[in-house]
Amino acid sequence: MKPLRQIAFVLEDFALQTPAQQLFDRFLLGHRRAGAFHKPDGLRVTVTRAGDLQSPSAASDLLRARAREAGLQLADLPAAVREADALVIVPRTDSPAPAAAHVTAALTHAKRGAACFVFGAPATNLAAARTLTTLAAARQITLASGTTLPVTWRLPQVDLPANAPADEALIVVQGTSPLAELHALDGLLPVLARRAGGELGVRRVKFLAGADLWRAADRREWSWGLLSAALSRSDSPQGDTLLDGRTQDLVGLGLVPKLASNPRGWLLEHTDGVRTALLALDGVVADFNFAVQLSDGNSVSAQLFCAPVPAQEHYSRLAAVIEDFFRTGTPPWPASRSQLTAGLLDACRQTAAQPGVWLWTAELSIR
Amino acid sequence: MPVRPTASISRRRFTGAVAGVSVGAALAPFHIRAAAKSPAKRKRVALVTTIVRKFSHGQHFVDRLLEGYGWHGEHHTSPLELVSLYVEQFPETDTSRERSKRHGVRLCPTIAEALTLGTSRLAVDGVLIIGEHGDYPRDAKGQPLYPRFRFFKDVVKTFERTNQSVPVFQDKHFAMDWREAQETYRDAQRLGFPLMAGSSLPVTWRIPMIEVPLGTPLVESVGVGYGHHGYYDIHTIETAQCMSERRAGGEVGVKSVQAFKNDAVWRLLGERESTRRLCLTALNRSQTLAPLPGRTFAEPSIEHLKRVSPFAVAYVFEHLDGFRTTIFHFNGTGTAFSRDTAALNDFTYAGLTQRGDVLSTLMFLPMPPTLTTLASFFSPLVNHIEQMVLTGQPSWPSERNYLTTGMTLFAVDSLYADGAKLDTPDLRIRYQPTPGPHFWAG
Repeated sequence: MKPLRQIAFVLEDFALQTPAQQLFDRFLLGHRRAGAFHKPDGLRVTVTRAGDLQSPSAASDLLRARAREAGLQLADLPAAVREADALVIVPRTDSPAPAAAHVTAALTHAKRGAACFVFGAPATNLAAARTLTTLAAARQITLASGTTLPVTWRLPQVDLPANAPADEALIVVQGTSPLAELHALDGLLPVLARRAGGELGVRRVKFLAGADLWRAADRREWSWGLLSAALSRSDSPQGDTLLDGRTQDLVGLGLVPKLASNPRGWLLEHTDGVRTALLALDGVVADFNFAVQLSDGNSVSAQLFCAPVPAQEHYSRLAAVIEDFFRTGTPPWPASRSQLTAGLLDACRQTAAQPGVWLWTAELSIR
Repeated sequence: MPVRPTASISRRRFTGAVAGVSVGAALAPFHIRAAAKSPAKRKRVALVTTIVRKFSHGQHFVDRLLEGYGWHGEHHTSPLELVSLYVEQFPETDTSRERSKRHGVRLCPTIAEALTLGTSRLAVDGVLIIGEHGDYPRDAKGQPLYPRFRFFKDVVKTFERTNQSVPVFQDKHFAMDWREAQETYRDAQRLGFPLMAGSSLPVTWRIPMIEVPLGTPLVESVGVGYGHHGYYDIHTIETAQCMSERRAGGEVGVKSVQAFKNDAVWRLLGERESTRRLCLTALNRSQTLAPLPGRTFAEPSIEHLKRVSPFAVAYVFEHLDGFRTTIFHFNGTGTAFSRDTAALNDFTYAGLTQRGDVLSTLMFLPMPPTLTTLASFFSPLVNHIEQMVLTGQPSWPSERNYLTTGMTLFAVDSLYADGAKLDTPDLRIRYQPTPGPHFWAG
């Protein structure tokens, strides 16, 4: 176990129910863990404002008030991180990754041997992610990143059988780009990583929107059956359910194309041939659900549970994972997954400009 | 005995269970796949209810039988055919007429007709009685006088007249009156038909997904919830009882009930260390405990509870084997119960073993409209009903529901007797649990 005496937060945003607030408060005040309220013993917390949070704003005022209440000084970045054993960097709520300058500064000023967790992706492209990884390695800082989705409860609490051969996977998310893509990747890649051979990377990516997305399913480029499996896990179908509460076979009744508003999808072909569909389907359901087709004909599907506001207790799950990472020095998942996520965010952005065209991604052969 | 999740709910086993669900049909066009799922011959059921409108219990059951529901990774078409409906109230928001017309379900003016379809014989393989919601008076204790017993007796009269009987499901507790509840249980025994009842709490998701191993030496259970007495007591009581009954020796019955209110609840928590410990552990499984202003979550403590929930109720049940169950409802700051002002909006459980271990979980209800658009916790309940009609075997003994009905009714009696401790000789109800697990796990 590594000593964890001081943890530094580098925050780009701060409002109630933002990732920054939920994580910061859980280290400041404690959090639910295994049926108890866990308060890290003797942990000193420092915090610094980055980006827009440095300017006067409601978010800035709230953070200042929180710090004053806890007896904390709002330090500048070098001072906040210099003595810290561990760092948590949280981007703006509408951004999938912190500004590279903030992560670079934090890694540069942090002490050697520290651990650093970035909420979201480390960067929005592979080159930037690799630069940060190189910097962290040079300073002997262990770097990890992610959202709550890999660690939240699944309904049901399923996982792929270890080393199970898989053919195809699909996840349904909602929201605007690029957060929708981040959520899709962070929700599905951890599930798929357990397949036979593990993750070998992605060789090409294609974006489809509107009717082209449904036509691609009719051509078997992605699976209506897997979509049905994923949506069977949803608690929030839209359409007539909003009207009168009815249950609906959204796929079987052909309702998905009718309900979807601005449907977008990214088709990923992995190096081992596994096919993945990331579907952003606003207006169909309002929760995140995945399904994986195994080679033996069986499937695994679940909802990635987002706990009720305001507590959003899935942040307690993430806080526990982060604390374990800091205390053990062992990252919760391979850094290569974060690099793949960063690279795929870039590929998703590029392909959205050229719908229907495969983008070959040799650089994403990341195991 | 160490308390741990049973093998049957380990991640490995869940994976195996779910992996058994095939979407091999994914290669077929989806509209053909959906049609191909419909079994040729389905068991027929009648549903008797007070009201069918958005989010009434009647709607949840009717729609799952007619429209299907998500289950084990697919859209599940019920193996039961809802052939008849008896609905007592038709508000402007009624959906039973639309469902009846669209699905060809016979809307009947009497319960007898719903069960016989106008013939002289029983024409269904099962009956669902959903006596919840609708415009009904309350009794002097504030309990809604839903006509569950009247509905049940009409069903029984039809059974007697036709000299036939089929499995019956009764939503929530048997009745609002103990003599009616006794008659319900005795009628089922006398006529020998399977009877299953209860809340959705024992069968919904658990976070974490734990089950009490059968024969665990539990000594005390605590259930924490919210809600108006007479409406939600049964939910919290069944939250605890579905766990308590799995203790060593099984259930032996309840010898006394005592209600506590407001300051008396805090005194109770102050005096009973083990109960306080279990209450706070359960609250550490809650995901909705009201925070203080400016916060998004709260550390459970008695002081915090006093601040966010000056209105609180507790029921203490002493079982005949020395086991104790305590139920807490933290109803928040409003003098009249409101979900908006309740101190929490979920149901949690904690149990203490003889050697001092505690196991705890959240019985999670994905509750519309605040969290979801569907009340999916009715899906496992409907699935258990399907299994009962198909096999003739209730998933759990009706004695559980008989006991929880009595616990509910006598608890409210004690509350309205200013917390008098009531001896409950009628609740010497012994039973053994079925192995389960019955909760939603796949």
